[in-house]
Amino acid sequence: MNLRNQLILVGIFLLNISIYAQDATRTLTGTVTDTDGFELIGVNIIITGTSKGTTTDYDGNYELTVNTGDVIQFSYTGYLSQDVTISNQTVVDITLSADAEILEEVVVVGYGSRKKSDITGATARVSTEELTAFPVLDAAQALQGRAAGVVVQSNNGGEPGAPINIKIRGNTSISANSSPLIVVDGFVGATMPQANDIASMEVLKDASATAIYGSRGSNGVVLVTTKKGKSGKLTVELNSTYAVQNTANKLDLLNANEFAAYQNQIRANQGNSTPYPQGAADTDWQDLIYQSGNTQNHQLSFSGGSDKVNFYASGNYFDQTGIVVNSGFERSTFLTNVDAQVTDKFKMGINLFGSRGAKNGVTTQSDGSVTVGGDDVISLAMRFAPDKPVFNEDGSFTTNDAVGDEVDNPFAVATARVDETTTNNFRANFYASYDLMKNLTFKTTFGLSSRNETQGVYQPSSLEITASAVNGRARVINENRKTILSENYLTYNTDLGNGSLTLLGGYSYQKNDSEVFAAAGTGFLSDAFSYYALGTATGLLQPGSGLSKVEILSQFGRVNYDYNNKYLFTATVRRDGASNFAANEKYAIFPSAAFGWKISNEDFLIDNPTISSLKLRLSYGATGNPAISPYQSLARFASLYASREGQTVFAITPDQPANPNLKWETSYQSNFGIDLGLIDNRINLSFDYYNIDTKDLILGNNGIPEYFGNQNDQILTNLGEINNRGFEISLNTKNIVRGDFRWSTDFNLSANKNEVAALINDADIFGNAAPSYFSHDRSYILRVGEEVGLFWGYDYAGVYQGGDLPSGTQTLAGGVAGDPLFVDTDGNGEITEADRTTIGNPNPDFSFGFTNSFTYKNFDLNIFFQGSQGGDIFNMTNVQLNNGDANTTRDYVNSAWTSSNTDTNTPRVGNNSNREISSRFVEDGSYIRLKNVALGFNMPSSVTDKLNIGSLRLSVSAQNLLTFTNYSGLDPEVNYFGASGNNSASSNVVQGFDFGNYPTVKSVNFSLNLKF
Amino acid sequence: MKYLKYLFLALGMSIVGCSDLIEEPVGLLAPDGFFKTTTDIQTAVDGAYTHAINEKFWGRKLSIALMLRSDMVDLASNETRRVEMNEFTTLASNGMLSEFWPKTYQGIAAANQAIAGAENVDASEAIKNPVTAQAYFIRAFYYFHLVRQFGAVPYIDAPITDADAAAAISKTSAADVYANIIADLEYAKQWLPNTQPSRAIPAKSAASAYLALVHLTMGDYQNAFDEAKEVIDNKATYDLALEADFQTLFNANLIDGSKEPIFALDYNNVEAPDNAYDQIAPMTGIRGDDRNSGGGWSVAVPALAVYDTWPAGDYRRAVSLDEQASIDGNVVEYTNFIVSGHQFAKNQPYIAKYTRFPGPFARGNARATSHNYSMLRYAEVLLIAAEAAVELGNNASATTYMNEVRARARAGGSWLDTAPSAVPADITGTVTVADVLEERRFEFAFECKRWYDIARRRIGGEVFSANGLEGAKPEFSADDYLLPLPGDEIERNTNLTQNPGY
Repeated sequence: MNLRNQLILVGIFLLNISIYAQDATRTLTGTVTDTDGFELIGVNIIITGTSKGTTTDYDGNYELTVNTGDVIQFSYTGYLSQDVTISNQTVVDITLSADAEILEEVVVVGYGSRKKSDITGATARVSTEELTAFPVLDAAQALQGRAAGVVVQSNNGGEPGAPINIKIRGNTSISANSSPLIVVDGFVGATMPQANDIASMEVLKDASATAIYGSRGSNGVVLVTTKKGKSGKLTVELNSTYAVQNTANKLDLLNANEFAAYQNQIRANQGNSTPYPQGAADTDWQDLIYQSGNTQNHQLSFSGGSDKVNFYASGNYFDQTGIVVNSGFERSTFLTNVDAQVTDKFKMGINLFGSRGAKNGVTTQSDGSVTVGGDDVISLAMRFAPDKPVFNEDGSFTTNDAVGDEVDNPFAVATARVDETTTNNFRANFYASYDLMKNLTFKTTFGLSSRNETQGVYQPSSLEITASAVNGRARVINENRKTILSENYLTYNTDLGNGSLTLLGGYSYQKNDSEVFAAAGTGFLSDAFSYYALGTATGLLQPGSGLSKVEILSQFGRVNYDYNNKYLFTATVRRDGASNFAANEKYAIFPSAAFGWKISNEDFLIDNPTISSLKLRLSYGATGNPAISPYQSLARFASLYASREGQTVFAITPDQPANPNLKWETSYQSNFGIDLGLIDNRINLSFDYYNIDTKDLILGNNGIPEYFGNQNDQILTNLGEINNRGFEISLNTKNIVRGDFRWSTDFNLSANKNEVAALINDADIFGNAAPSYFSHDRSYILRVGEEVGLFWGYDYAGVYQGGDLPSGTQTLAGGVAGDPLFVDTDGNGEITEADRTTIGNPNPDFSFGFTNSFTYKNFDLNIFFQGSQGGDIFNMTNVQLNNGDANTTRDYVNSAWTSSNTDTNTPRVGNNSNREISSRFVEDGSYIRLKNVALGFNMPSSVTDKLNIGSLRLSVSAQNLLTFTNYSGLDPEVNYFGASGNNSASSNVVQGFDFGNYPTVKSVNFSLNLKF
Repeated sequence: MKYLKYLFLALGMSIVGCSDLIEEPVGLLAPDGFFKTTTDIQTAVDGAYTHAINEKFWGRKLSIALMLRSDMVDLASNETRRVEMNEFTTLASNGMLSEFWPKTYQGIAAANQAIAGAENVDASEAIKNPVTAQAYFIRAFYYFHLVRQFGAVPYIDAPITDADAAAAISKTSAADVYANIIADLEYAKQWLPNTQPSRAIPAKSAASAYLALVHLTMGDYQNAFDEAKEVIDNKATYDLALEADFQTLFNANLIDGSKEPIFALDYNNVEAPDNAYDQIAPMTGIRGDDRNSGGGWSVAVPALAVYDTWPAGDYRRAVSLDEQASIDGNVVEYTNFIVSGHQFAKNQPYIAKYTRFPGPFARGNARATSHNYSMLRYAEVLLIAAEAAVELGNNASATTYMNEVRARARAGGSWLDTAPSAVPADITGTVTVADVLEERRFEFAFECKRWYDIARRRIGGEVFSANGLEGAKPEFSADDYLLPLPGDEIERNTNLTQNPGY
């Protein structure tokens, strides 16, 4: 019976009733509970055949005007719906029972959806509640600790607007991007919507789940579905939060007098009798650059719809004032979803997204290149001499001139430098689907997105070192990216024998364009112009512009066969052709296959009272990482500026040869998983073991001799291999469900072990994660058989006490008592490059998240711990602070070796090492962090009814309140990328280095949720 | 409704279209078909010149290494890579070495590209060879630096087409590298014009002068003398002369008008990316100096003996060294330079050649000066001729050329309005090799010539003894006349052998 006939029947029925039950309009009330007696909130109650309806409040109560004979439907996700025909009752209390069979959770997969119990791949779902537990700028942040196998890290601590790095099951690459593919409402490579607009987020982890995305699947896929409107009355929802933030930690640095004494001690130790010329000031630079920050986030959404058309529209405003002066982020976001069932065969809809963000940046994490001393405020505040005032007598900013490199002061850099980034995002995605015949549906989507980002930087002439000599330096960079995506696919369902078969086949075309331009100049009449007066520059700097295009042409298909509701088979394949692939390797094919066995549906278990569900999953497949940038495989000249007879002219030099055989990187992944549900699924356990062999990794470094003379000294080759293997456990238990009280626990743990399996000639690859002014070129290593990114340096062996050297150790040249000792690895009697060795491993053994939720009557409490165990941190901050040419910590001065304090593991001040990279600075970075604790209160309906509002929720939460760690630095969640800066390659291999990143913040947050 | 499904099917299809997925880069330089005219050859030659001005080559890494290895410039820094250069403890991983090695070869690769590209240019020899000859010259310039630093090196003289073969080559012997340098310079001499619009573009005189220096370095004194003399005899044709005022040679505002430079590097007047600018001036400048927006970095500082052994009346001393400076608004003598309080400040006269008149484009600390550094100037041709004449027993010529240089030195000049003096007096009697070397030490002080003189004359044992200007350098040995090849380069091509002692 189709919908239309149903409606007619209901109509006739109602008509008949109305004849016999005159004048029966009245108010019906009642409570909806589940089988445990717990009130259900937000149950949809609708008078069938009408658009009249309501939802239950926080106490499970409802109130509805009805007529005798109305049929009322109670429906709630995950529960069996019930229809009740009204005779003469005024109170109807309903008990809904959960039903895994009919209304089971549906999991979104690529190009479709499956019942959760029919999934053969490894996936994880993050709920809306988890995503919105505390305010985040980027919904990706809310993933941290919530899903097994997913590691989330801000790329710069608590910096407002800092990008968020997600990694699923470790790094599958060395030089290419390791971030997962983000798919929002079917749009591949979309911008993440804001957390309050997300209905569900699925993380696809194994090849069975990701191979449908082919050459872009090997880093995992995050599928995001935004909220849609529901038929029924208009719902207006307001979410408002306000948070106060502070830096979690500061360093205990020397004051001016202590600093002068320290400098004099260094000079004495170095045989220099010139006293340190102490200045008159006593400045706490950390106090000057840190402030109390705040965040506010307001969202207003409207949703609803008629039988045929649903809509959801939301607007969001986010504003953050950072904890470092002059840093902040502001963003407005809009999202609209409209879906229309045009005929019973034809459905269409559109998804519109727009956002505008404005970031006010301060420089942190400097790579050290801006005038030899670097220019980032965080490390400058640690290093800068405390006996200097902020301003000279003439009102100009002071510079550091007595010790170390001459640098601008941190307050000057933080307040005078302008660094603004505005980002506009727009996306429109249209779809239409048509049932061509019974069980055969054609769906087409057409979308476009654009992202326009403009960054303006102005270094004013008041910055003595950076820009005074050139009278200010300004730069504007604009990048405009456009994507067009068209996807067309057919889905066919049929019963076949004892099972059901689903076939999917389609093709896709995507085109990404990116245009950039940059202009810069020096020499401005006034600093007040900021970067808006490039036309008045007296010195022109090199402008730049560029265009890159990528076209991807794909075919994909999937077969699902479910036999007897016991045996599940899934096979997928995708063929990707891409313009950025090299000439001889334009097309790539990625297949996968999976098998699932619902053991609990076998006769011997089906009636088992304890085991409510049990499923085994096995999968194997290949996925790719495109890894090749546009035009990267083509031969190239580089252009250079040359000077000729006083005129600037253009010159060329060989940059790289052609590389027509360059290929994408491929991950071969096997996955074994078990899903177990016990006692009516009150205990749910999932376990997955995976093994990922990533081959054909693109490597360039060390590849070819420098005497080839290419400006780009890397011929890229597909020679690397990495293995990642590990396991993931998710445990979800409903510990207590009794009356008004509920306690549930979510626990997830992931352990990933990676190993470099092959490199070019299996030769070690070294890299530098120190700022350039450290003057080191090796601080981490990639070595076959080892994990990625081990620390590389000297093995510290304590303090030399004078006299005979302890066996097997040496000092650096000219060592005397108090200087550091290092293990003379090669036993040649001196400390040389050859004595360096692996001194630490930044890869954690495992990481975990642990959430406890308690609900009692109108109150709920959520406590979320997140942690990481076993990863080392290289404390580069201490390397700099122990070097003598900067301020330092009291701890260092107090523990340093002196002739009267010899029983110490810390060398003397002013010792003979120069920012040595040694095991002395390697620390255990394990931590457990109280990521979030939140207390919520739902206003009772007795109050909300009086106020004439639907529901009201108030909550207070705190983030990063407690951290348990032995790490001595500011924060164990470190993320410094070193002299090469933060790029896709460095974020894969540079791990565990701490230097000058924006501090993680402690935050206290107040929220309000109001529904009409 | 039926038409609708066809409509959106068509919509989907139309977007997909047919793409051949071939990349058509816009705005990128593809080598195919690049070389069409002599202008294109010149563009590649300009690329070859430009690598030389980079911070990784003359801008700092090579020039400072050459200074520190000599006895004329000591180190005020504890940076490992510099200590290694100064103390002769250089490791194959040295951080200066690892920068100027690739930069030198990038210059060579650009020259090779120009020479190969010239084959595709359809123009007569008379039109295109004078341009291509610049590429031969600059290739010789780079290899001459390499062979003096490393001895035998991988020799590449064409764009790489077979990467696997090129990655496995062995070193070419120093003798063969020298032979190739001479061949390149002879070609350059044949085709380059007598004069060029700028001293940063090599003329015939540059090829001849470099031939003279190469022959001198090889100990081929007859050829050295002949080449040098040819330049001297044709100085009018080549538009060459000694500059009257020695200070002018180190004044970035005036140097481009001088007739003394024979080959110079043209420093950009823009803040080019990739560190393509000069940092010699800040490296040699005085800490706390009120000049140059923040003074210098006090890294490369001559030992006090350099000043003390330099005859007081020699105008070149006054031009080459700063005896006093203004620090914090007070004029202080060098004996009190540490008043700046900096840990590496020294009570010694500092190098003045580059910080005094850095030109209009200098930025903070005198980074990015406008000095178009002379790689070889006319005075050197005179002293090459003098040294070769001594070796050939031609004392008359040696005396003439030496005294020409010394006469200019005692003439005084604009700096502090120095009047002519008697120092240095004309040399009389028999000129010795030591006399010429000493003259070169003063004349070319801090111009990165001294290390090469020490190495070619093998006088390290003497100048780095306890009697040397910087005192005993116990780590110095004969192996230090050559640097190690970068360790990672040997890892990349295991057929390359390391120099002895490393």
